[in-house]
Amino acid sequence: MAASSTWSSSSSLFIPREETLWYYIAILSVLSLLGQELSRCSVLANTADFEGFGDDIDDDDFSDSSLITDLPIRSNLPPSTTLTSQSDFETDHGPPLDSSSSSTPISDPTIPNKPSSNSFDFWDEDEFEGLPIEQKSTNLKSPDVAAEAGSSSKVESDSKVEVQVTPPLPKTLGSFTVEIVCVSFLIAFLFNYFSGKKENENIALAWASRFATKDSIFDKNFSLLGTGDGKDTPLLLKEGQNVFKFYASGRRFCQGMLATMDLQSRHDLMSRIYNMIVPCKDEITFEVYMNDDAMDNVVFALAKKKLAKVMHKELRDLQRFASLVTSGPNNRKWVADELMVITESKEVAGDLITETVLDQVFGDKAFPKFGKGFISMHFSDQYQGSHRKMLILKFALPDAKNMADMTRLVALVPYYIDLIGRYKLSPQARPKTEAARTKVAQEVYKELHNARQEALQKKKAEKRKMAEEAEAKLSAEVLRKREAKDRAKQMKKVMPKVKMTRAH
Amino acid sequence: MSSHGGNSSAANDPRQPSTAKPYVPPAVSPQELPIDYAGFIAVIFGIAGVLFRYKLSSWVAIIFCAQSLSNMKNIETDLKQVSMAMMFAIMGLVSNYFGPARPGTQRG
Repeated sequence: MAASSTWSSSSSLFIPREETLWYYIAILSVLSLLGQELSRCSVLANTADFEGFGDDIDDDDFSDSSLITDLPIRSNLPPSTTLTSQSDFETDHGPPLDSSSSSTPISDPTIPNKPSSNSFDFWDEDEFEGLPIEQKSTNLKSPDVAAEAGSSSKVESDSKVEVQVTPPLPKTLGSFTVEIVCVSFLIAFLFNYFSGKKENENIALAWASRFATKDSIFDKNFSLLGTGDGKDTPLLLKEGQNVFKFYASGRRFCQGMLATMDLQSRHDLMSRIYNMIVPCKDEITFEVYMNDDAMDNVVFALAKKKLAKVMHKELRDLQRFASLVTSGPNNRKWVADELMVITESKEVAGDLITETVLDQVFGDKAFPKFGKGFISMHFSDQYQGSHRKMLILKFALPDAKNMADMTRLVALVPYYIDLIGRYKLSPQARPKTEAARTKVAQEVYKELHNARQEALQKKKAEKRKMAEEAEAKLSAEVLRKREAKDRAKQMKKVMPKVKMTRAH
Repeated sequence: MSSHGGNSSAANDPRQPSTAKPYVPPAVSPQELPIDYAGFIAVIFGIAGVLFRYKLSSWVAIIFCAQSLSNMKNIETDLKQVSMAMMFAIMGLVSNYFGPARPGTQRG
């Protein structure tokens, strides 16, 4: 079985389906691009070998000629790498300088370039394009003197030629700024990934060891702990580097409970930097799936004032059934000032916020001490989700060292499972809640009915369009025949009915 | 406040082993998964790096690939996008560092 599953996962990469076909095409295109780039590189590298092909022969042939002595001497040294104001690929070189101008430094802008007639005759723009202009320390000899002088004078003149060549600039650290920054960021990212991952795991394990191990609160309340169905199964299910889940089942009044730890993305350096600017907390959400017969008509929520208003606006069940409550019933002891209750009726609020809860967590005295991590509570029999009857409790997680701080908050989970499991509405409150539910059910039914009608109308409209299109396609003759038939039918209808009787 | 005392009797025990149900992870369709912004940005920068021959763009693509990989939840659905981004980013770096110099610039 395991082998087949691994085969199916691996085969999905090799057998092209609709989505994977595009994936393979993309891979091929990228590989072809890579091949093209590499081939271009090799071609450019090879062309460098052919540069100056047959230079020696040409130089020997032209050395005796007296006509081209004015041309600048080509050297085997590499061209100067001094930058010019022109771009690299738009060169506009003029003809070479004559003997008089070549002796003067190039940097002098006052002397104009005056090419001699004989040098201009041999100037080929294409061939000499991009050649560096070389400076000579002494004036070149005239053709007559050059002819008279022997081989010794030739050597002397050659030794006097100086070519200005600047060596290639050495690469400094400044030229690799982008690379240094990016590589160092990647290294930091890698280190942070492992350290952040470990940090998150420590928090999750600290919570599990405190509340989900042997003789802990969940062990005493649930018969099955962990996501597996065996004995030695892991307690926590790791869904991501920052999401851990704990499941428990086998308890009265409920089908099961799922605790989801949504921690900060400590493993992600970018998220960590963002969290430094915009701080956020590690959260744990308890979702209790209640039995259908165990929960009465209850829609109730408790949260900090700001969040309570947001919840009332956004959550469908609270929007439809509940309203914000500012004060407690019959001026009795009530929740801390920071908190706000959203409930269907004050009776429900009074019954669910008991004296015990106020003393332990939600009271004015207890809340600053023990309710620091409290975020929200939401109990509903009309929850819009996979399960209808739900209890959702949300708390902030403390550090791994201070996990004991949330003991009282975690104790609220089994307490409210039992409280709501046993809770029954009074005969006075029940009719109101049931009326509200029937009203909502009717609204939902109407919405569905309207949606169905709209769908039917759309279908009819589409059919009409199709029929019209088909008619438009029909030829003129067929249309004439149809019209004739229609006329005949109408005539028959209009004609008076005559009864024929036979005379015997 | 806990619904279960330390030395409670069997009658008061809230546990019911007969009703225990093993955990079944909810089936999540690829459409319901959160959008992988890092992967998408990585693809964009990777393509830009290859087409426009920007070193920085390819490096940024590599960084976003790393972020996408670190935040990956579902390998089946996420790996394709990340691998595409990775290929474009590496391709960009290869063409920038080993390919011919861009016209108008000096090869360093």
